Amino acid sequence: MAQSRIMVIDDEKIVGDMAKMSLEQEGYAVETFLSAEPALKRLDEDRFDVVVTDYKMKGIDGMEVLRTVRSRHPGTQVIMITAFANLDAAIEALRRDVHDFFPKPVKIKELKASIKRALEK
Amino acid sequence: MKNATTWLRAGLERIGIRARRPVPPEELFRRFRAVLESNNRALEIITDMGDTLGGDYLFDIQYVRRSYQELSAAFELSFTGFDALTEGKYRGLDAVYRSIDGSIRRAIDGATPAQSEPVVLLEDIGDNAAAAVGGKSKNLAELRNIVGMPVPDAFVITAQAGEAYIRHNHVRERSGLAGTSPASSVYQEVQELILHGEFPPELERAIDIGIKKLKKRFRGDCYLAVRSSAGEEDGDFSFAGQFETVLNVPADAAAVGKAYRKVLASLYAPGPVAYQRRLGYQAADMPMAVICMVMVDAAVSGVTYTRDPRGASNSIVINSAWGLGATVVEGAVEPDQFRVDRDDPRKGLEQRIGAKASLTVRMSGGGTAVLPSPMISRGRSSLSPEQAVEIAGLAMKIEKHFQRPQDIEWAIDNGGNVFILQSRALKPAEQHPVPNSAEEAGHVTGREPLVVKRGLQVYPGTAAGKVFILRNLSDLDRVPPGAILVARHDSSQLVRVMADVAAIITDTGALTSHMASLCREFHLPTAVNAGDATRSLDTGQQVTVRVDELGVDVYPGIVPELLGAAGSRQARMEELAEYRKKRYLLRYIAPLNLVDPLRDEFVPKACRTLHDILRFIHEKAVTQLIDQAEKGWRSHGAVRLDLPVPAGIVLVDIGDGVVHSSGKDHVTHDQVTSLPLRAVIKGMVLPGLWKSDAVPLRVQDFMTSMLRATDIVADSAPRSTASVAVVSREYMNMNLKLGYHFIILDCYCSDTVRNNHIYFRFAGGATDLTKRSRRLLFVESVLQERGFLVRLKGDMLIARLAGVSREEMESQLDVIGRLISYTRQLDAVLQDDDMAVRHAEHFLEGISGARPEQAAPSNR
Repeated sequence: MAQSRIMVIDDEKIVGDMAKMSLEQEGYAVETFLSAEPALKRLDEDRFDVVVTDYKMKGIDGMEVLRTVRSRHPGTQVIMITAFANLDAAIEALRRDVHDFFPKPVKIKELKASIKRALEK
Repeated sequence: MKNATTWLRAGLERIGIRARRPVPPEELFRRFRAVLESNNRALEIITDMGDTLGGDYLFDIQYVRRSYQELSAAFELSFTGFDALTEGKYRGLDAVYRSIDGSIRRAIDGATPAQSEPVVLLEDIGDNAAAAVGGKSKNLAELRNIVGMPVPDAFVITAQAGEAYIRHNHVRERSGLAGTSPASSVYQEVQELILHGEFPPELERAIDIGIKKLKKRFRGDCYLAVRSSAGEEDGDFSFAGQFETVLNVPADAAAVGKAYRKVLASLYAPGPVAYQRRLGYQAADMPMAVICMVMVDAAVSGVTYTRDPRGASNSIVINSAWGLGATVVEGAVEPDQFRVDRDDPRKGLEQRIGAKASLTVRMSGGGTAVLPSPMISRGRSSLSPEQAVEIAGLAMKIEKHFQRPQDIEWAIDNGGNVFILQSRALKPAEQHPVPNSAEEAGHVTGREPLVVKRGLQVYPGTAAGKVFILRNLSDLDRVPPGAILVARHDSSQLVRVMADVAAIITDTGALTSHMASLCREFHLPTAVNAGDATRSLDTGQQVTVRVDELGVDVYPGIVPELLGAAGSRQARMEELAEYRKKRYLLRYIAPLNLVDPLRDEFVPKACRTLHDILRFIHEKAVTQLIDQAEKGWRSHGAVRLDLPVPAGIVLVDIGDGVVHSSGKDHVTHDQVTSLPLRAVIKGMVLPGLWKSDAVPLRVQDFMTSMLRATDIVADSAPRSTASVAVVSREYMNMNLKLGYHFIILDCYCSDTVRNNHIYFRFAGGATDLTKRSRRLLFVESVLQERGFLVRLKGDMLIARLAGVSREEMESQLDVIGRLISYTRQLDAVLQDDDMAVRHAEHFLEGISGARPEQAAPSNR
């Protein structure tokens, strides 16, 4: 079975670094991006199974990433993380078929479980 | 007359003088509660931050900022309340708080500390100076200034001074040092520029002053050890043996300047660059301070590990050899080894005499030389048993201070005086099973092993790869990734390839060497002292290696049965620089250093973390309440509570909590009318929970162990001094100190169900962490079973219950009363986790009918 590919987009390096380290341990191939623009470009070049994206970012935000992925890469699941528990954003994201929505801090174990479920879809 | 008094008071108040009026108990207690509430809130935030920053959560800087904002707010409230409560008695605390707060805010924002003096004496290094003086100097300063350890005189050239030197010589611009991964030639150029640079005039002057001060103190010419003290050195990562050390440097400006340049330049040497890259520093830009310490004329030197680095025994391990310590730390000789029991250094000293073939000595005029040891001293022990015990004692004090196992360098001069030269965190190997025994694997694969059970385990694990025999350190660049590195000697230089190789085996070497420390940090399967591995194996040979407590086994080819899952290295968040930076701020927040008010120095300046400040505030707030109760509140109903158990509680009655007898300063429990207090007392005084002559002495049974425990606790614990309960008919706030435990019980018990609550907090304890955790496990089991919401965090347990009937409240408070008595004596007997659970079951059985001394679980 091919290695699953995960993309993590967050404008804080620490989030990408920690996610990469813990997800690689699960055997996934992980790429991290500090902003959405290069991430979306990369998505056009290569297949990713799951995108984990921050909600609030400068430039293109998480909701825009979700919209783009839904329209251009329907096979890719999106998990959104936010700095605050933001109910409106959560509802909007769910409406746009987000796979999961986590407020930060995110328990890594839960993120891993969510990714596993996303891959089973 | 009344008018005149009012006029006078108003006049005084206008010019800022307030007449002191005694604070009524209700008001004082209101302030006290305000302090406790904000303290509790602060502690909960601290535990939350500890959890979130512990590596199990993805978090961002927003989380850190937000949490710290909440924590600061709780602190400000606590301060205001405390100041009002103690009427400004502890003003010094504010300055301590501001200083710690400043460090935390700088850590959060990633800002550098304010400009410090370029050169500071060791004794002038205060808390929060780590960023300026580096980890090694900070540790030594604490040991000297706080613990009172014998540390030689020294001054530190700060990291900012190092940066000033680099800027003054335009090192970055001239070498082209920039970007994420500069070429090795750039680093070479950087080193050259540093080695031949000039000192900024103010730095030169400051160093000169530093030298003069040391000379004055030494009363004459002295020689210095010039050593690195880099930003993160001796913290989570040791950088063991990575940077240059120049020993026996004459105390003159030219010689010290030359040595300083060498040490500073070593930040950019290939090994340190590789190590820094591994830790997330892109262009070897870790701040570097340098410590210049008076040389000890060492007759004997060595290294002490306060725990067995293999994690196998309860021993302090001391390695020692004649002369200066360089030979021991670099693993160049087989040292003498002593193993001393951690709990009782005088018991069972184990000693093994090493060959000590060579020794490092000081040369007159400066520098050192390695000479063959005289034959007569090779077979002789370099330490007497008394000296080993003395060193073990100092080492344990050091561990107690830093609250984690330590790796300590020391020296003894010709007069027999011991000096501490360095102390850093020791990371014992984690105990994880290595799959299959060698025999089983041999049987399964049918392969003849090439090496069987040789050498000493530095770090356990299995790995497969191609052998590379390292004949010369200059060949390090040729080591292919994934190799099994086999070398003749153990050397800290190997750090250059540690991130890439699969395992290391050396023919000679010691468990306490720099290389051994580094391999443990890298979780790299490593064995040293394997005898003839370089001769038994050949470069290019495919092998599988297995290191465990019996040594190293090497099999030809790949042995999948051996590799298993344990071969893969675990992801470690600490390897992420960003993560470390964020987590670093917990250092200023979470550790608790002020543990025992009777033994520790309980003054504001002893507070090193926010947790310490909370502890201080709590202790002093309770003391204040008791003082007031004893001094001035007699008329308000402050009395001693006489109980058949030695709890030493002062009662402050704020409304129908006690029936007073006129003229008496104590009451019996029959006179208590406070509903919650009556219920707690009922549980506390239940026969059999406290040591008493009525308890039968039966060998091996539960109560015997309880008796033993009571004796132990009674002998070593301070007497109960600071316990106070503020009561009314329906309310109680009890701050109870029994032995080392600290208990807060706040409850309201009435006929109005919605007002009823119990808040129970349990913390402290002087036994080791494992036993403390078991005690908490026990309390948690009991309270959870009783329907409390329980939160267990580190050393503290918080349980809550609310909205239950008065009858239910009374029954629960009875249980808490029993718990209070029971746990006081529990520490010393909880030998394992199962026992904690058994005690909990037994305790609960006791509640449901039987008295505790019946139906006792066995300790076996």
